[in-house]
Amino acid sequence: MKKDLFSESVRLAYIVKDLRRTFELWGYKEIFLPSVEEYSPNLRKGTKFAYNNKFYMFKPDPTSQILANLKEKRELKLYYILEVLNGATKGEWQAGIEFIGGNDLMLQVEGILVAITALENLGINEFYIDVGSLEVWKKVLKGIEEYKPQIITALSRRNFEEIESLPIPSAKKEELWKLFNFRGKKCEYQKLNKIIEAINDKRVFVDFGTMRILPYYSDIIFEVYSPKFGKPIGGGGEYEIKGMKAFGFAFNLKAILKLYEGDLEKTRKIISGDLKEAYNKAKQFVRLGIPVKVRK
Amino acid sequence: MRFVLPKGRLLTGSVEILQKAGIEVRPPQGRELITKNGEYSFLLAKSFDVPVYVEHGIDIGIAGNDIVEERESDVFVPLELPFGKCRLSLAIPKEKSVKVEEMDGFRIATKYTNLTRKFFDKRGIEVEIIKLHGSIELAPKIGIADAIVDIVETGNTLLANDLIELEKIMDISAVLIVNRISQKTRFEEINDLILKLKGVVEDGF
Repeated sequence: MKKDLFSESVRLAYIVKDLRRTFELWGYKEIFLPSVEEYSPNLRKGTKFAYNNKFYMFKPDPTSQILANLKEKRELKLYYILEVLNGATKGEWQAGIEFIGGNDLMLQVEGILVAITALENLGINEFYIDVGSLEVWKKVLKGIEEYKPQIITALSRRNFEEIESLPIPSAKKEELWKLFNFRGKKCEYQKLNKIIEAINDKRVFVDFGTMRILPYYSDIIFEVYSPKFGKPIGGGGEYEIKGMKAFGFAFNLKAILKLYEGDLEKTRKIISGDLKEAYNKAKQFVRLGIPVKVRK
Repeated sequence: MRFVLPKGRLLTGSVEILQKAGIEVRPPQGRELITKNGEYSFLLAKSFDVPVYVEHGIDIGIAGNDIVEERESDVFVPLELPFGKCRLSLAIPKEKSVKVEEMDGFRIATKYTNLTRKFFDKRGIEVEIIKLHGSIELAPKIGIADAIVDIVETGNTLLANDLIELEKIMDISAVLIVNRISQKTRFEEINDLILKLKGVVEDGF
């Protein structure tokens, strides 16, 4: 049981309301995903359980759930606010978008801009976004594919020693080392340069050390973080589905809650007095869109 | 920059290697847990908690790789350090020695429940794991466990308790760990420290 579910819920509701507004301003529609899905090896996270001799997943990762449900080519701009389970009973509240079937470059630029504006609209301005590319790594790994698992593990741990100990040519090691430590505004990968240029935000960097090892990502990946919070606030990437390009990201709502410093409640019109009269007045205000609080 | 160092057997090595890399660590006095030296602050924590501190915002730490793995901490591990070397092993009373494959249904006492679970799961063997926080080697002696998973340095403790090492689960070493966000926000500073520490290691620390 949570320490104080009700206070946390009030805070979450406020943040989520604002996120929904931003996502909808960009043209995304909320998707209501079922909590339970029939088990499929393509579903990630979630908690597996058996019922009537069949396997199911409870609250899986929404991107994998959306992909599993998309049976034919269809352009979609979706957002979701939901809890994802970690394989047991622990859940993480997420808010995210999926832009399916857009044009290359537009998808990535818009996706990252949605993330930026969503944070800004919440008054969170002290954050950075690192954008990386899986294609760039794939290119470097050509010819040394047999060591890919070790190299990927080393990269995700940022341990170059593990790469140095592999029997691969020193020129390759040099190339890997350069990528490993590349962080800046411009790189040799033109696609990434175009994205950074179009986003045009000083908080966005190219960082090839950014790694998100999810089976569905195909190239551009990104991570949002703030010096005020020790873990990533969110992240996402590019993938392909039914021959279409797609891009999505998710925020960790707990992280957003920690960074949010704004007020949780707007001023309300206080109305008191006779029950019938007070509620009659309140009704009029609500119809005009003015927040109210009726007191005895 | 904030460091978290482990109390216990890794502390001396941690202080020494940082000092050789040019970080003046002011050793804690008495019951002091946090010390400061200019722009650096040092927090002393239980070795089992070091990766947790780093995962949640302390910039840099030194911990055993066994603990990083056991706690499944989401931290960067850029460097293995040349001290704290030992191994995590499965040990059993000499007179009850069996093959690992014959341990189905055995009760295992350990501080490392995650690593133990993974080790047996990989072999498809179902065991019952009992979490203990210390004196693990006593568990088989008093009959609350059939075997143990614990750190082995010289093997003397096992010998003294009539236990034999059945299988090594992993090699252990002290490692440098870095917070994922600090690695980005203090990119130059942290990379510089890693290279200096690497130099100290290569010079035969």
